Amino acid sequence: MFSTFANPARFMAFSAWAAPLCAVAALALFAIGLPWGLFSSPADYQQGETVRIMYVHVPAAWWSLAIYAFMGGASFVGLVWRHALADVAARAAAPIGAAFAGLCLITGSLWGAPTWGTWWEWDGRLTSMLVLFVIYLGYLALWGAIEDEEKAARLAAVLCLAGLVNLPIVHYSVEWWSTLHQASSVLRSGGSSIHPEMLGPLMTMAGAYAFLFGALLLTNMRAAIYRRRVEAVRLRSPI
Amino acid sequence: MIEGGWEYIWASYAVTVGGLGAAALVAALRLRHWAKRARELGKAKNK
Repeated sequence: MFSTFANPARFMAFSAWAAPLCAVAALALFAIGLPWGLFSSPADYQQGETVRIMYVHVPAAWWSLAIYAFMGGASFVGLVWRHALADVAARAAAPIGAAFAGLCLITGSLWGAPTWGTWWEWDGRLTSMLVLFVIYLGYLALWGAIEDEEKAARLAAVLCLAGLVNLPIVHYSVEWWSTLHQASSVLRSGGSSIHPEMLGPLMTMAGAYAFLFGALLLTNMRAAIYRRRVEAVRLRSPI
Repeated sequence: MIEGGWEYIWASYAVTVGGLGAAALVAALRLRHWAKRARELGKAKNK
C-alpha cells in the first residue's frame, strides 16, 4: 500500500473520489450524531445535561491523539524510506490535529466550568493535552520557518517523533497522577463502562470526526501536491 | 446531579461546528487555489 501511494499521480486519482466520499460520510454521521447527542441521548445521573458535551469533546480528544500517532508513523516512513508522500501526509495532518486538540481543550473547558466549577486546572490530563496542542503548533511553525522543504521535512519529522513521548502521558495521566479529570470509560482494559444509550451517539460522532479527518487530510495533501507542481514549474522556467 | 448547563452545551456545539466548518472551508479554498494555479501554469506551458 505504501508503494502504491508513493506515486503522486496515483494518489491524486485515488483522492479525487476518496476525499468527497469521506466528506459525504462525515456529513451524514454529523447529521445523525449531533442531534442524537444534543436531544435524544439521556442525561447523566451526576453530570446532568452537561454530559452532552462529551459527544463533541471526547472524539476530538481521541482523534487529536490518533492523528499525532499517524503523523509519527508518516514521519518515520519519510525519514527511513524517503517515501514521496509521507512528509506531505504528516504536514497535511498537523493542522487538523491542532484543530481537534484546540476543540478538545475549549469544549473541555466549557464542560469543566459547570461540573468542576473551574475553566482550567493544571492537572496531568489537561496539562499534557495542552502540551500536545503546543507540539502541534511548534511542528507547524517549524515547517513554516524553514524554506528548504527537504530540510524542513527532516527536522519536523524528528520533532514529531520526539513528541510521540507525550501520547502515553496524555492517555495514562489519569492513572499515573491524582487528577480532576475522570478515568477512561471507553478505551480501557476490561471494556467500556459507558451506558449503551450514550455509547451510540459517542461512536457516531467518533466516526464523523474520523471521516472528516480523512476528507481534510486528502484535501490538504492534494493542495500540497498542486502547490509543489506550481513551484516546480516556476523553478524550471523563471520569469 | 448538576442542573441546567445548556448555555455551556450550546457553546460547545457551536464552537465545534464552527471550528470544523472553518477548517473544512480553509482546506477547500486552499485546494481550489492551488489546483487553479497548477491548471493555469500547465496551460501556459503547453502553449
